Amino acid sequence: MKNRVVITGIGWVTPLGRTIDGVWAKLLAGESGIAPTKLFDARFFPTQFAAEVKDYQLPEHLRTSGKHEEISRATGFALDAAHQAWRMAGLPMPGSPASAAVDPYSVGVYLGSGDAALDFDNFTRAALGSWDSEKRSMNMPEWGRRALGSFNALREIEQEPAMPISHVSMEFDARGPAMNCLTACAASTQALGEAAELIRRGDAEVIISGGAHSMIHPFGVTGFNRLTALSTFNEDPKRSCRPFDATRSGFVIGEGSGVLILESLDHATARGAKILAEVVGYGSSADAYRVTDQHPEGRGAIVAIESALRDAGMQTSDIDYINAHGTGTKENDSTETFAIKGVFKEHAKNVPISSIKSMMGHLIAAAGAVEAITCVLCIRDQMIPPTANYSVPDPECDLDYVPNSARKTKVDVAMSNSFGFGGQNDTLILRKFVPG
Amino acid sequence: MRRVVITGVGAVSPHGLTSADLWRGLTEMRSSIAPLSAFDPATFPSRIAGQVPAFKTLDYVPKSYRKATKIMARDIELAVLAADGAVRDAHLATRGVMESFGGKKPDDSWFEVDSRRIGCNIGAGLICADLNELTSAMAPAKGDDGSLSLRKWGKSDDPSKPSGMDQLTPLWLLKYLPNMLACHVSIIHDTQGPSNTITCQQASAGLALAEACRTIQRGQADIALVGGCESMVHPMGLMRWTLLHRLTTTGNDQPSRACRAMDQTADGTVIAEGGSVLIIEELQHALARGGKIYAEVAGLGATSSARGIGGPDPAGEAMAVAMRKSLKDAGTDPRDVQLVVPAGYGIPRDDQAEASAIKSVFASQHPEVVAIRGGLGDAGAGSQALDLAAAAMALHYQSVPGAVNCTTPLAGLNVPQQTHAAALKHVLVSTGSIAGQNSAIVLRRYV
Repeated sequence: MKNRVVITGIGWVTPLGRTIDGVWAKLLAGESGIAPTKLFDARFFPTQFAAEVKDYQLPEHLRTSGKHEEISRATGFALDAAHQAWRMAGLPMPGSPASAAVDPYSVGVYLGSGDAALDFDNFTRAALGSWDSEKRSMNMPEWGRRALGSFNALREIEQEPAMPISHVSMEFDARGPAMNCLTACAASTQALGEAAELIRRGDAEVIISGGAHSMIHPFGVTGFNRLTALSTFNEDPKRSCRPFDATRSGFVIGEGSGVLILESLDHATARGAKILAEVVGYGSSADAYRVTDQHPEGRGAIVAIESALRDAGMQTSDIDYINAHGTGTKENDSTETFAIKGVFKEHAKNVPISSIKSMMGHLIAAAGAVEAITCVLCIRDQMIPPTANYSVPDPECDLDYVPNSARKTKVDVAMSNSFGFGGQNDTLILRKFVPG
Repeated sequence: MRRVVITGVGAVSPHGLTSADLWRGLTEMRSSIAPLSAFDPATFPSRIAGQVPAFKTLDYVPKSYRKATKIMARDIELAVLAADGAVRDAHLATRGVMESFGGKKPDDSWFEVDSRRIGCNIGAGLICADLNELTSAMAPAKGDDGSLSLRKWGKSDDPSKPSGMDQLTPLWLLKYLPNMLACHVSIIHDTQGPSNTITCQQASAGLALAEACRTIQRGQADIALVGGCESMVHPMGLMRWTLLHRLTTTGNDQPSRACRAMDQTADGTVIAEGGSVLIIEELQHALARGGKIYAEVAGLGATSSARGIGGPDPAGEAMAVAMRKSLKDAGTDPRDVQLVVPAGYGIPRDDQAEASAIKSVFASQHPEVVAIRGGLGDAGAGSQALDLAAAAMALHYQSVPGAVNCTTPLAGLNVPQQTHAAALKHVLVSTGSIAGQNSAIVLRRYV
């Protein structure tokens, strides 16, 4: 018999703030966290705005602990979000008297986090200073001299995508399985799904799961601008991300972290934890189609959604809400709609679907985690946040996207989709917790 | 519970481009560490590396996919090679293999896979941008202070000329996303089942294998391509490992002796590249199609040292727990393990911790311990993949390769000095990554 997996804590750091209820209120009100880019000078980039975590400062206890020197922005977000979630779950901090009750080897960490920004000044100076313009190639001995003389060892290693889990594991003395996956925009949904599977199999009792990412740096935005994936609607950043709208023109890069405490039902019950929701279904697939494009008929997305339903033992009619991947690119939103219709058939029109990326931007590897938290809140409050900026219907996107205003409705079961560049597709199903 | 076996091994390593080359190099106890030639390392204190021999990626992709090789970073190329070797070794007639045979199976020993039932889980590292390519684009946008001018980078002063960023190929970002290893492999071989990319440095491959194994155990796939590949042989990789004091600086004149894994005289590791892709398969599925079985994946264990990059605790406690978990998962005990393949970077602090972990798990037992880094170096996310390939072949051939450069092993370790035949039932493969993730896998002889 597989262990049931429940959610006992949530925390996030987002472009709309860093408290659960503060951000939730803004999502329900349709507020936008998108504004002109401040983290670097983007005035001459094709895209000059982003969904930044504004005026962010790491909480003091993390700043002064001496354990987290030179951490990346994303690692800071992850630590902050993990603290919120850990506290909400009522789990004891290592070293506190109550911590003796928790076996550190039963607590795992599984995040979907991205690699951090290059050390921009040192990197570009070393590279440009050793460029041989006649030979049009690098003078490597010169680069070696400059790099070894200027780069900071810690700042370099902190760019590794495994560093958020490394710091979170150290912070909470979590010595169970520790993993990071990086399947682009699907990463944290996949992390949550695989973390749930670890608990189901009995490999851990508690897993700190979710994701963290910031690609709002010159080379990150360069990469997406070159792919022409980003919206360039500089005239009105707040209206730039328009999922499922006929005039949608690209996604908006965001940053942040979402962390959920997943726990075996037995463990949560034994310690009297308050249960927020249950993870009941997870499905994963690969498009195996093209590096750049989703399969036009949503082949992989359909498999992920169907296998999540099968895993949950549910019918499409059981799903009360779909939190869409809904990036606001031409391709994603029509493909996702096509895939939902492919699975839900006639019923597709009856299921409310929304994309919080319209307000929050796209947190890339961390997107799925904040969307899973959103689903938890939808179940808690029986409310659905809107898809903001929706005004012109697209014949290819003809479902109920909860346009522009939040909706009070029954949400006992919520589905969240995430699809990554490179073809990884992941779907999670969360359910209101019912004991027994 | 559904049992999982290894039915194919593909490996790309400094010993060669195939798993047979790897096994030959190991059993002949060769070192393939040599002066670093991929770029000029003159100003680095460590100027040697374990480099993969020359190859043409085009030879390993179907004709219809040749264009995509232009956007493959070296790490991706290595994965494409290793995956090709693995599916051919397992006689899986995937889309890529079929195309290379003109659309049909060469004979009945080949099995046509159900694309939806085959997954892909390949560990990857932090892939660095090609410095020449990126700097060539940045050069015209150099600012007055010597760093990159974001103004010139974003927009050209002369509208008839491209801006700095416009000189990068539109797909530039996709060359360097870690999940592109699995992405290209899944497209070439049409694997539509669960696909993931674990990025836990040297522990990636064991964690990836374990995860894919669980997907097969719970019935979400019948077959998976698993492993990990990375090239640390990149200026950024060399710079990072140098600044972290991981590399030997005394071996430049005698590269083949430079990396002395698990030896008392070790003084640092050597950067390398490579990796492996294994085919894992549900047992009944493998038996039904008559697949060759290297070994059974018997036990999975993972822990975290929870010390950041402080390295393993000196007693190797968290590593030992991962090993015990994997043995328990396998339903076996230390007395029944004949061989341990540790990471054995050749870094004294790390090797000592691993030795302590091994001794605490095996107490009075003395399984043989062979770390293959001695002849290969540290290939990051490819490292444990090569260890797993080596362990699978050791079980298959019932042979233990002698250790390279480990003539004075750390105290209490039983390190074979010669390659020899052995009755192997269980092999434990264990690794701790630089950031503290530990992965232990028990492989069992299948009879």
